[in-house]
Amino acid sequence: MLILFAGAATWLLAASLLGLLDSLKFHAPAFLAGQAWLSYGRVDAARHAAFLYGFGAPSALGLALWLTCRLGRATLAGPGIVVIGAILWNLAAALGVAAILCGGGTGFDYFEMPLSCAWILFAAFLLMGVCALLTFHRREPGFLYPSQWFAIGSLFWFAWIFSTACMVLLFAPERGVLQASTAWWCERNFDTVFLGFAGLGSAFYFIPKLLGRSLHSHYQAALGFWTLAVFGSWGGIPNGAPLPSWIISLGVAGTVLTAVPVLAVATNFYQTARGDMNGLDADPTLRFTCAGLMFWIIASAQQIAGALPGVSVITDFTWFGAAQKELFHYGFFAMTVFGALYFIVPRLLGLDDSAWCPKLLKGHFFLALFGALISGLSLWAAGVGQGILLANPGNSFTDVLRRAMLPARVSLLGDLFVVAGTILFLLNFAGVLARACRRGCAARKERP
Amino acid sequence: MNRGPLLFLGLFAAMACSWTGFVLGPQLQLGGLAQTNTVVVGDALSQTYPLAEPGQARAGADVYRANGCAACHTQMVRPDDLGSDIRRGWGVRRSLAEDYLFQQPVMPGSQRIGPDLSNFGRRADFRGILLRLYDPRKIGFFPSPDALVLPAKDAPAPGREVVPLPEARALAAYLLSLRQDGYLFEAPPPLSKTNALEGAAK
Repeated sequence: MLILFAGAATWLLAASLLGLLDSLKFHAPAFLAGQAWLSYGRVDAARHAAFLYGFGAPSALGLALWLTCRLGRATLAGPGIVVIGAILWNLAAALGVAAILCGGGTGFDYFEMPLSCAWILFAAFLLMGVCALLTFHRREPGFLYPSQWFAIGSLFWFAWIFSTACMVLLFAPERGVLQASTAWWCERNFDTVFLGFAGLGSAFYFIPKLLGRSLHSHYQAALGFWTLAVFGSWGGIPNGAPLPSWIISLGVAGTVLTAVPVLAVATNFYQTARGDMNGLDADPTLRFTCAGLMFWIIASAQQIAGALPGVSVITDFTWFGAAQKELFHYGFFAMTVFGALYFIVPRLLGLDDSAWCPKLLKGHFFLALFGALISGLSLWAAGVGQGILLANPGNSFTDVLRRAMLPARVSLLGDLFVVAGTILFLLNFAGVLARACRRGCAARKERP
Repeated sequence: MNRGPLLFLGLFAAMACSWTGFVLGPQLQLGGLAQTNTVVVGDALSQTYPLAEPGQARAGADVYRANGCAACHTQMVRPDDLGSDIRRGWGVRRSLAEDYLFQQPVMPGSQRIGPDLSNFGRRADFRGILLRLYDPRKIGFFPSPDALVLPAKDAPAPGREVVPLPEARALAAYLLSLRQDGYLFEAPPPLSKTNALEGAAK
């Protein structure tokens, strides 16, 4: 499992470095021009693939495995197979990113990796997923905690959407515009449900546990879980897409109804923490997880707003969408995973929380928080501004682009913060690993 | 909800609902979409629409895909009540499912850092595109009908010339092939603009 997390963290650095390069390229296209493999379009696709398949999916898998073990009080089934799966996964992800940079991208957002890599990824996922299910089966009988639902849900969702994407986009492509509608649907499910389930599962475990309280309401948690599964999976199709209008309307309805899980989950956590809000600041894991939840609420609200036809007239196809992804990925998901890692890693290594360097930890928190905030808000401003100006056909397109450049440039600062924060985290992580090794060596010397 | 099988059944039902609605449903409705005939406007004849891209444009679509052009360009004209696309001159009508029939892969894009390209073939010419692809920022806004004759300060050293690579030519051919202008039954021409096609023909 450690392999999975270490790989994920390294990948996040790769993704954020690519992101930085991407932004730089955007502001200075001549930078590294003449290198086809480093052109904007390829680096942009590689950046997203590195984030989603390097960091996102493996950390979601790692969380699911860990939560299933922990909450079921069971040992991991087939640890060797999980390790093989993790190695295979990381190899395939590396191959896929390289293939995209070489021009092998498929042209579908979120599923840019060529089919050959996608098969390996899926096989690796199956190895790890089956072990997770076996572990789930070994659990102690009794009550299923919400985090367990979320963990199993995320595994189930990934299996279905990834296999759908492989089959109908890459292996036996559908005809014409159906490819676009399937890709939009898969993309929405990847974010809202798969990554959403994984991050929320972790929040449902850590917030009550570290506050030392019980979860306010299991019924409310169940409401949030099932409504997110049902409504979160509808949508992702832009208004005005060349599809029959019933599909678009269904998507808008589903997206708007995700307000139900957002409210159910948010009020549940609020009630759980009520009266002890200061306690939320006491522990690094809690701090990261709460910040992640805040970002989740903001990003979900933005997604709902952006689906309304009145708003989407302005915001569709502008930086607004990029802002939503930034807030969801780097704000919600990455922060929640970091929170979980600050708790899980020392325990996997037989150490305690004091293994982390508190200064690096604090630095990482603020860099990650402000990085996501600055990037998200500046792109948000750029998107809304661009959209309002574009609504008037009298404004020339190039003029509008130039005017939206300033806020887009500010987002580069956010990208820098995210990279710096991730470097701090990796340094800290390496320190903890070194400490664990030293301890292991010392223990070996003591008993000759 | 303390039983594993119940959890799986619930997840399966939720996912199956969504999958049926968003993957299977559209497939059943549009999977058999075929070429059709354009609506007769004025004295223009009805034509088969859409036509498959010519060979070089097919190769250019691969260049477009490989270089991630869709990161900055959409190929989707929204209806007039959902954006300024048509008034901006990006198309004469909204995009329809038929427009994408022969595209592989379909790359509708998600953000407009550059303009929409659904009808780029209607508003550009081969040489002009090659100049733009060479350096969109320096000369892209002054498309020249001539060969790649560059302005003095960007001109290559004496004895050298700028020759577009096969990829650039293919990409230009692909971009030229982008046009969603056959009026179809679902989106007939606006009554006041019935002369648009005739005007374009002239």
